[in-house]
Amino acid sequence: MTPDGGIRAQGVRRSFGPVHAVADVDLVAAPGRVTALIGPNGSGKTTLLLMLAGLLAPDAGSIRIAGADPVAENYVARSRTGWMPDVFGTWDSLTAREVLTTVAAAYRLDAAAGRDRASELLALVHLSELADQPAHVLSRGQKQRLGLARALVHDPDVLLLDEPASGLDPRSRVDLRVLLRQLAAEGKTILVSSHVLTELDEMADDAVFISRGRTVDTRSVADGDRPRAWRLTGLDPVALAAWLDENGPAYRKETDGPGVLVDLTGDAAAAELLRSAVEGGVAVSSLAPAGGVLEQAYLALEEERR
Amino acid sequence: MSVDVEVVGSAPTGGGTPRGRGTWSLSWHGLRTVTVLELRQRVRSTRWKTALIVWFVVVGLITLLTTGAFQMLSSDTGLTGGDASYGGTVYSIVVGFVLFLGLLVAPTLSSGAINGDRNAGTLATLQVTLLSPAEIVLGKLAAAWIAALAFLVASIPFLAWALIGGGVHWFALLTTVLMLALVLGVVCAIGLGFSAMVSKTSGSAVLTYLTIGAITVALPILFGLLVPVTSTTEEVEVWDVEAGYNWEETTAPECEWQTHEMSVWHSERTWWLLAPNPFVVVADAQPLQGDVDVLANEGNMLAMLQYGVRYARTGDTGPQDWCSEFVSDESGRGAQPDSPVEPVEVTDQLVWPWGLGFDLLLGAAGILVAVNRLRIPTTELPQGTRVA
Repeated sequence: MTPDGGIRAQGVRRSFGPVHAVADVDLVAAPGRVTALIGPNGSGKTTLLLMLAGLLAPDAGSIRIAGADPVAENYVARSRTGWMPDVFGTWDSLTAREVLTTVAAAYRLDAAAGRDRASELLALVHLSELADQPAHVLSRGQKQRLGLARALVHDPDVLLLDEPASGLDPRSRVDLRVLLRQLAAEGKTILVSSHVLTELDEMADDAVFISRGRTVDTRSVADGDRPRAWRLTGLDPVALAAWLDENGPAYRKETDGPGVLVDLTGDAAAAELLRSAVEGGVAVSSLAPAGGVLEQAYLALEEERR
Repeated sequence: MSVDVEVVGSAPTGGGTPRGRGTWSLSWHGLRTVTVLELRQRVRSTRWKTALIVWFVVVGLITLLTTGAFQMLSSDTGLTGGDASYGGTVYSIVVGFVLFLGLLVAPTLSSGAINGDRNAGTLATLQVTLLSPAEIVLGKLAAAWIAALAFLVASIPFLAWALIGGGVHWFALLTTVLMLALVLGVVCAIGLGFSAMVSKTSGSAVLTYLTIGAITVALPILFGLLVPVTSTTEEVEVWDVEAGYNWEETTAPECEWQTHEMSVWHSERTWWLLAPNPFVVVADAQPLQGDVDVLANEGNMLAMLQYGVRYARTGDTGPQDWCSEFVSDESGRGAQPDSPVEPVEVTDQLVWPWGLGFDLLLGAAGILVAVNRLRIPTTELPQGTRVA
């Protein structure tokens, strides 16, 4: 990771009158990785993204976007940032293609380059068929895809996506995931905020958890060193419980199902547990991670907060 | 409207990275992008076409009705003089009406340009691009102004038609249209300023109308209210009927110089209150017709308004003549020497540059406010607004 690249935010604060929307956020998003920004409603995600996008000045703290300070070098930072807001309008009377050529012109691409880029992006987000339809006939998910294309017009180094998956159908979600992985593979820095945690599980490399305007945890999604819950079910729950009482690790009964939850660290531990259970004569019908990594981490943090 | 192009040089920080373009950087490319975007959206909304058609019909009707009415009047009463006698009247009514309607329409073209976009969530997506705040604001101003000029262009046939009625110099059409265009541009700029300041589009429209109301109505009222303050009691030289003249006498009175204590209105101290009024600006920019009698005969209200403000600017006219008219009116009273008092000549000092200058300053203030409000990153948010 070069010291210049990616997103680095340190001690960032911003309040609106008496409301401390962002109280103290540290965040590092590395180039070539997809970083998830996770937090409950009103935790300051959108405000943070506005500051990263260079629209809002932080009260304190420092931000670097691909090496540029969005406060002191706003123009440079803007030229390297692609921002997709959570709620955004489109110029309703313009066609999808015109929206993109307009944005291309606003990014100082000349007309021919803008047209080429627009066609390319329309194909990328599967809107080519609707390219010459006015934007107001697009569905919510299609508008969302158009918004993503708009954020990509100037081929930015850093992508800030606020709830990009909301309103997308399953097919488009898969497309989004593939696209973001592909962009990350090209070396871009991608910061995604979302509520759909299972989805972030599959596309994010790192996760930053914020709550009440503060960074509460930073972790790697692939991190195997941390224990996570696995769901274990057997044909005979009583026998399973009896075996676990005797041989197995600590477990707890699932409240909404027949299985039990076991905290295990790493896949090897899971394989080991399964092997010993089978050897112990327990009829195990399934052993799988209970929920996503991020979901579990999120819920654990919520737990701590209470 | 001229704008200084300022290009911010390299930033001192950032390891030699150029800071790029500043708040006030302007480029033709950027301006055109915003203007085209705005106009495209405007043209595609049917409301706009309807408004233009309604405008055309209404101005056309007014022209037709006034022309018809004055034609009938002049033929009925036998007020001779043919076309020339009502040409100026029709012309001034049409111009006044176009200006009045323009002042009503222009604020709607710009007073929602920024807060409307902000509410629709399209402003921030434009701000994060490489357009400078000045390009966004001036592009929007250009679009609003072009739209306002479309209304003006739709009225030109009727202005020209009124001109054909006679009595008005063709040069007046040129100055009138030019001044109308500038005044509408100023109104658009003021509306833009308010739309950046206020979060609700209705609020910025109201503030724009209030500002126009202030310069159009409130300032002239203030001018009127200040009459007692600007009037002083002075000794005035009067060419008066001889002292002790008995009006029963058959011989004509002799005229002589007398000194009277009387109130003199120094309107030359407050005339500038009238200057920013858009009607005054438009009226005063035409070539001055100095002869009051001709003016009154033609009924050209624009020319009369111009004469009025020039008269106000002239102010205290010095010695007065209270005698000559008695002498000349009554025939057979013997010849009297010509009045030594010069007839009142209104000043040829222009009023409109002051008014237009003031109006342009207002418009420039609106632009300044708007550009400042669009500067990013924002440190302060106006009450009740969202960034995106």
